[in-house]
Parts: sequence; C-alpha cells; structure tokens
Amino acid sequence: MIDLGDMTVRRNGTVICSVERLTVAAGQRVAVIGANGTGKTTLLRVLAGLETAVAGRCVVQAPRRRRVYVHQNPFLFRGTALYNVMYGLRAHGVGRESAETTAREWLDRLGIAHFAARRVDTLSGGERRRIALARALALEPELLLLDEPLAELDELGITRVTACMRDLEATTLIIASPTELPDGLTDRTHRLVETAPARDRQSV
Amino acid sequence: MNLIWEGFLEALRLVAGRDPLVLGAAFRSLWISAAAVTLATAIGLPAGTALARRAWPGKRFVILAARGGMAVPTVFVGIVCYALFSRRGPLGPIELLYTPWAIMVGELLLALPIVLCITHGAVQALDPRVGETALTLGAGPLRRWRTYISEARVGVMLGVLTAFARCVTELGIAMIVGGNIKERTRTLATATALETGKGEFARGLAMGVLLLVIALTVTILIAAITREQPDGNR
Repeated sequence: MIDLGDMTVRRNGTVICSVERLTVAAGQRVAVIGANGTGKTTLLRVLAGLETAVAGRCVVQAPRRRRVYVHQNPFLFRGTALYNVMYGLRAHGVGRESAETTAREWLDRLGIAHFAARRVDTLSGGERRRIALARALALEPELLLLDEPLAELDELGITRVTACMRDLEATTLIIASPTELPDGLTDRTHRLVETAPARDRQSV
Repeated sequence: MNLIWEGFLEALRLVAGRDPLVLGAAFRSLWISAAAVTLATAIGLPAGTALARRAWPGKRFVILAARGGMAVPTVFVGIVCYALFSRRGPLGPIELLYTPWAIMVGELLLALPIVLCITHGAVQALDPRVGETALTLGAGPLRRWRTYISEARVGVMLGVLTAFARCVTELGIAMIVGGNIKERTRTLATATALETGKGEFARGLAMGVLLLVIALTVTILIAAITREQPDGNR
C-alpha cells in the first residue's frame, strides 16, 4: 500500500521530513512516533497528497479521494456537527438522506449522537476532535491518516474511538506521540529519527 | 440648520404623499444598483476566490488593477462608458446610451473591483486547513469554492454591501451615460443634483435624505453582519 524510500520534503530549502525506508501493507495499522520536529505530521501530509515538494520514492496505492487525513487540530466547517459528518459523504456523491443516516450512525458509534444538531463553535476541543474522526471514519477510506487522534479526549472518548479504530479495515497511520495509544491498537511502530531537519535547525 | 430641517420635512411629505417622481427615482436607483451588484457578485466571487487560492499568470497585475479600480472616480467610469456607448463608440450600435442599462454597465465596472478585491482578501485570510480539509474529504472544485465562500461569508458580504452602497449613491455614471432623463434614467443622486441646481434646495435635500436612508440601512446591515459574536467567532 505504502512504499517510501529516501524520501525528503523541503520547505524554503530546509528539509522538514526525511524517511529512509517505510513500507506498509494494505490493512496494517502503524503507529508513528518520534521527537518534536522529526516530521511526523509532514509524513502524514505527504501520504495524504497535501505536500508537493517531495523528493525520493513515494508510492501510495490508494486513489487521492480514498485517503483521509485528520489534522492534529481538526478544522470543522461552520454549521452543525451533523453537517460536518455529512460533508465528505455528500462530496463523494452520497444522497442527502443516505448521508444523514450514515452520519448519524457514526456520531452514535463515537458516542456523540446527542451533538448532531449542535453548532460546532459551541463544542469543546475533545468533542470537536470526535466529530472530525466521525467525519473521516464515515467515508470508510482505504488509507486513514490520524494526527494524534486521542489528544484532548476523555476516558469515554478514548474507549469509543479506539473501539471504532479496532474495527477498521483501512490501512492506518497514527501519530502516537506525545499521546500514547492503548495496547494492541496498532500492528507495529515506526520511529522517525532526528535527521537532516533537526540538525539544520540546530546549525542555524 | 433651518434648511436641513425643511429638507427632512419635505422628504417625509414626498414619501408620505407617494410622489411618483421621487418613488420612481428611488425604485430605479435600487434596481439598477441591485442588478449591477448581482452581476459583479456573479463574476467577482469566483474570480476573487480563484485569485486567492491559485497561482495564475498575471495574478498580481489583476489584483493591483482591481485595487486601483476601487479608487477610480465615478465620473471617469462614466466617461469611459460614454466613449463605449456613444454613436461612434465600439458599442454604439447596441444603442444603450441614455438607458438604465448603460448606468447598470457603468455601475458594474464600479462594483466589480470592490467585490473582487474584498472577496480575494477574505478568502486569502482563511485558515489554510479549510481548503486542505475540504480536499482530503473528497470535495471537488465547486464544493471547495462554496466552502471558501461560506467560511469567508463575513468578508464577502461586506464586499457586496459596500459595492451596493457605492453604486446606489454614485452620481457621475448616472449623469453622464444616463443623461438624467425624467421617468427613464433619473436616479435619486441625479434628481438631488437637478433639484439643487434648480434652486429647489428643500426638494433636493429631501432626495438626498432618501439616499442617505438607503446608504444608512446598508451600513447598519454591514455592521450587523460583521459584528463580533460573544465567543469570538464571526
């Protein structure tokens, strides 16, 4: 599914992410860890197709529309929680009624069905994150890229989200630091090490 | 001070008495400006968004020209339109000179840079996550555009209402390409100038007051739309 080799991403001439080797088979769940500034978020953005200045081998065997990236600090569109979860489904051509049914199901699975009609600007950080996850999971993507999905979540939120993630068939990469993931959620861990970017910064 | 007070009283009398010339001019001012701003919005919103979100050849020139266009005097727009629509002008054969449509075209040229520039600024100032989130959720170009406009709605509405206020109160274009013809091209602004010119100060002032009421209504609408909400979100 994913095959990266000697991949680097530069911004304004500085290397901000460098991966020597990373292969992920279809259906695998991989935790990505590493110190601050090692390019964990950039790696997920590369795989989501949001970064353009990528050098080296970068093969992702999933169509662009079948990859979903959930931001470290998710952005919710103006409107209700239900509208947000329906957004991606509608963008994928799902009819209004069917999209609403699916969206309500996912809100329910994540324990936030009672927020469906709430405007997103009245919700807390953890609630907003769960809506962003429901919005991503509802699309049943082939490749799911989650940037610290459990940050800000309470115990109940973590239980609901991890239960949903265990059922997933999608290939999943999860940034797991500094927030640690529950045991057994991922198949393996990939550690990003301080390479060129950190050294570049230190030399400045 | 007495003159101003008389003007207010005359304005009330004209509106209460449903003076056909005044109401006709007011209605004409409103529909011409509304049509011009609707067209400017139809062009300016997609163009402003495209300029904010993508790299185009000549993009900087277009933005610079539009910014310059916001400051162009209305008499200059009027003269350009006159040159276009006069009998010897390139658009002379369509015979638009001294019709409301000629005023509408002039006001479109006035409104377009305002709508385009303010839309461009509002969309460019959006959080970069708006476009990325829409893209990663599979939104196509049209849905992404609608999302940008929805998220930047305060700035966009501000642009549209500012353009409307500028059009409904402008004098130069209506005078030059409209010709201030009674019951055909007379707007509130040209009627104000005419009545004052005739020495009918109170009547002129009454027209001006009506114009002021329309402009104030738009300003209040702008203030209501751009008002900060208690939670800090707009």
